[in-house]
Amino acid sequence: MSVDMTASQPQARLASARDYVELMKPRIMMLVVFTAVAGLVAAVGVTGQGMNPILAGVAVLAVALGSGAAGAINMWYDADIDEVMVRTSTRPIPSGAVPRSEALAMGLIMSALSVLLMWIASNVLAAALLALSIAYYGWFYTMVLKRRTDQNIVVGGAAGAFPPVIGWAAVTGSTPLDAWILFAIIFFWTPPHFWALSLVAHKEYAKAGVPMLPVTSGAKATRLQILLYTILLIPIGLSPLATGLGGWVYAATSVALTTGFLYFAAKVYRSRAGEADAGDEERKLAMSMFGFSILYLFGLFAALIIEHGFGLYFGFGGV
Amino acid sequence: MSETAPKLETDAAAILKAQKRRNVWLALALVAFVVIVGVSTVIRLQESDFGGSDRLYFSGYMDEAAKEKRDREAEERAIAAQAEAEARLAEEGGNE
Repeated sequence: MSVDMTASQPQARLASARDYVELMKPRIMMLVVFTAVAGLVAAVGVTGQGMNPILAGVAVLAVALGSGAAGAINMWYDADIDEVMVRTSTRPIPSGAVPRSEALAMGLIMSALSVLLMWIASNVLAAALLALSIAYYGWFYTMVLKRRTDQNIVVGGAAGAFPPVIGWAAVTGSTPLDAWILFAIIFFWTPPHFWALSLVAHKEYAKAGVPMLPVTSGAKATRLQILLYTILLIPIGLSPLATGLGGWVYAATSVALTTGFLYFAAKVYRSRAGEADAGDEERKLAMSMFGFSILYLFGLFAALIIEHGFGLYFGFGGV
Repeated sequence: MSETAPKLETDAAAILKAQKRRNVWLALALVAFVVIVGVSTVIRLQESDFGGSDRLYFSGYMDEAAKEKRDREAEERAIAAQAEAEARLAEEGGNE
């Protein structure tokens, strides 16, 4: 699908502040900020290095701005497919509230400001990682992967996996194994999370010409991939226990959530979710898995914040 | 014709009002940005010892200047200590 970069829709209605907030994809931003804070807090707890709380706040603000910037660039580029899909047709650009050129300008300016703020508040490594993650999502995922391959979510998942690494780098100026374990958790979590949603919305993606896995390979293959990625996620989700990053609180949380995630993945695999003859039950099941996947990620990172931010870290003997 | 004219006026007024509101928000955002950069810079300056390897704002000449100052002060302290020692020796010699 080709995109006319210069096309700009006429402004059908006056934009409100809410439209500009919507342009920054606030729900994604919340998850990004939360995982970045978890990375930051875990880095302080594990390494013992401190960070001025005001500078830490500015670093988190920079991550939020960067996420919003990437979201705005994504909406600018994807305005044509957003218009086609019912789920996204009310977004600020397709609804005519915000002109495309304004969304692009906002995305680019916010990208620059966020990287600058991160540099000022922490260090050049964190700023470079933030710039990389914005480019990864705004350019590589949105403009290169999304419309070309059904592995878009797998490869593009790295964009959302950067925030805890950025948070860690902001404190320590380095990215050790523990930071990359947090990266891997989000990276391998993204495919089952998104594919659960795409089992429900596959007709929309097909209409818009986006090659999501259920569109290109069918619902059965997608359900299998969801199960396989969930199984792959089990050792990765538990690996913080091996390095000492996670203690007893993390252990209890991750075991419970991993069991739940696997339960949903197995149930979705055995269902007919995403098939042409799938009913409301199957649709609800896929959406339940989508919802639980958010709870899974939130729970794991919340456990790390509780352990390292509130002094409740109780490690395993010998680690 | 007479019915559409007032509507257009209302639209223009609404657009102008929205533009003004947006300008105010932009101005506030810019002020907030300047404040954040200012506060962050002050905190970083207070934390900096000018001599660490993790320099952000200062190039080498600041280190050289600091080193020269440290050397000069050390030399002055050494001269003062030597003078004091000589004076003490002279005083002890006089007593004998």
